[in-house]
Amino acid sequence: MSQAKTSPVTAVRAAPAGRRLHPLPVRIMHWINAAVMLIMITSGWGIYDDDPIIRGFVFGSFWRLGDWAAWSLNWHFAGMWFLAINGLIYLIYGIVSGRFRERLLPIRPAEVVQTVVETLHFKIAHEDLTVYNAVQKLLYIIVILAGISQVVTGVAIWKPIQFSGLVSLLGGFQSARVLHFIGMAVIVGFVAVHVALALLVPKTLWAMLQGGPRVKPSTRVQRGVKS
Amino acid sequence: MAVLRLLWLCVALVPITAPADAQSTTPGGMPPPPGMSLAESTAMRFPQPVRVGDLIHKDVLRPVASQQVLGHVRAVVRAGDGTIKIVMSFGGFLGIDTRQIAVPVDAMVLVGQDMEVVAFTPKQLAGFPTFTASGTTPVPQDTIIRVGLAKPSH
Amino acid sequence: MRSPFRPDNVPDAAVLDNHRPLIRSLERRGLIRGGLSLGALVMLTGCDVKRPASVQAALRAISRMNDEVQALLFDPNHLAPTYPSSMILRPPKFNAYYDVMDVKPVNGETWRLELSGLIADKRPWTVRDLQAMPQSSMVIKHICVEGWSYIGGWTGVPLRIFLERVGADLRAQYVAFKTADDYPSSIDMATALHPQTLLAIKYGGETLADPFGYPVRLRMATKLGYKNPKWITALEVTNTYPGGFWEKKGFPWFAGI
Repeated sequence: MSQAKTSPVTAVRAAPAGRRLHPLPVRIMHWINAAVMLIMITSGWGIYDDDPIIRGFVFGSFWRLGDWAAWSLNWHFAGMWFLAINGLIYLIYGIVSGRFRERLLPIRPAEVVQTVVETLHFKIAHEDLTVYNAVQKLLYIIVILAGISQVVTGVAIWKPIQFSGLVSLLGGFQSARVLHFIGMAVIVGFVAVHVALALLVPKTLWAMLQGGPRVKPSTRVQRGVKS
Repeated sequence: MAVLRLLWLCVALVPITAPADAQSTTPGGMPPPPGMSLAESTAMRFPQPVRVGDLIHKDVLRPVASQQVLGHVRAVVRAGDGTIKIVMSFGGFLGIDTRQIAVPVDAMVLVGQDMEVVAFTPKQLAGFPTFTASGTTPVPQDTIIRVGLAKPSH
Repeated sequence: MRSPFRPDNVPDAAVLDNHRPLIRSLERRGLIRGGLSLGALVMLTGCDVKRPASVQAALRAISRMNDEVQALLFDPNHLAPTYPSSMILRPPKFNAYYDVMDVKPVNGETWRLELSGLIADKRPWTVRDLQAMPQSSMVIKHICVEGWSYIGGWTGVPLRIFLERVGADLRAQYVAFKTADDYPSSIDMATALHPQTLLAIKYGGETLADPFGYPVRLRMATKLGYKNPKWITALEVTNTYPGGFWEKKGFPWFAGI
């Protein structure tokens, strides 16, 4: 943050090669989140199976983390701390560093439509990893909101009496459960698309491991110094 | 890449799961032992008083962990032989081809807000004749009848 | 595309359906009446290859930490929402670690509530003694750890009033219960003193029925269902962690909601 006081030009000179697309903290938080999400989703399925929300549908033992409900629950209640704390730091980092504004905004509806049309024509533009297309932006925002929503509905299910106000806001204990389930479905849907695209364009996967291309200094000057 | 290793550990742990039956030492909603009459089996299930009107619309489930919905309670009738039967919707898909069958109340149990058919498999129920009201009398909504209990199935 | 690993002739799943009553009766004989099996042995040890000991130890440690967080989140003055008595589910939902056929009714005439631990007056209690105590009623949601819930109406002696009457040490940490169905349980003193914690003797205005814990069971508005032992036979006030039936198998102890 000390660099913020120097002029933009010096800041660029101080880091001539520019910042990585995915700075180290982002990569660490991404992979912690990936692991914890996997734990939360599969242990959640273990808890779900004890009293299915969609009658007639259970996930089955292959998909569950925890050999029976108590251990699924223990995984879930252990993972929640990592998910919430990692997620909170990520949100603070994304806002303070300007990453969210830089990468995810603005989203123009026309661009979303255009990208969808292009994708349907199998024109997946991923030459420039440093710029997210409108659909990407939208999906990232949706999944971040779904993550926040999972924590809120999760707290409601965990402590429906202590936070009875929150639960009645969500329409009662059973609707909070359903909302928690829908949030999971949204995240799983995102993960499916996200992983599929990462495998289709492997350099995106590599970028999340090694940092990716350096962001052009000029773009940073344009956007102002936030290093 | 400790983080990656953790990720792989998680992936590796996912399939390491087993049946979730450790939770109950007796599974819920088991059929009557062979040779036992339905009435006798209900007597073992601590039949509880319930208002007939409260049974209408209840989901009727299969006693399995997935809680598959077999149908819904539509009416409660007294058959010619004096036994009480639950008239439930059954079969079909999205209401198409759905018909009504009459299942002896002693073949069913209450599990909280729902009912379960414990004495017949879905296949056996499929062989039940379609319910016709003739020869039966509807049981008034305010009548209290007794229905056996079961714990949730896992 | 068809997987090369899939056999061409798949056995008809209906074979399971056809023989289901038989399979179930076999399972029943094997599991319930049969006693010890390899599976039961695995359950007894509480740990097996499916759940590595180190993982289990780590999860238990976090669960204990969560117990402390839960105790901090517990507000002794916060009341659980209550509902009109027209919403009471009659009869309530039965649940136990066994099915209802294995319920062993308790004889209310000979039943006694034994008291032990940090209690001044340890004279045993009869059903009539409990009935003579001040009663309180509440229509609250019963929430099971499995996810289901229902609204139930309970009447009984507030545990706080009971503990005060017998001269229990209210600064002790735990209140522990023993039951006729061998389902030991224990709670923290703060929850024991909560106004919506009852030694319940009635449901929906009627004497508690056999499968629901006659003559007395615990009902707390602020804890999960499995923390509410039925057919209570003994109560102890103690500073030694007493644990409980499900807690031993892995479920969290505090289980506040």
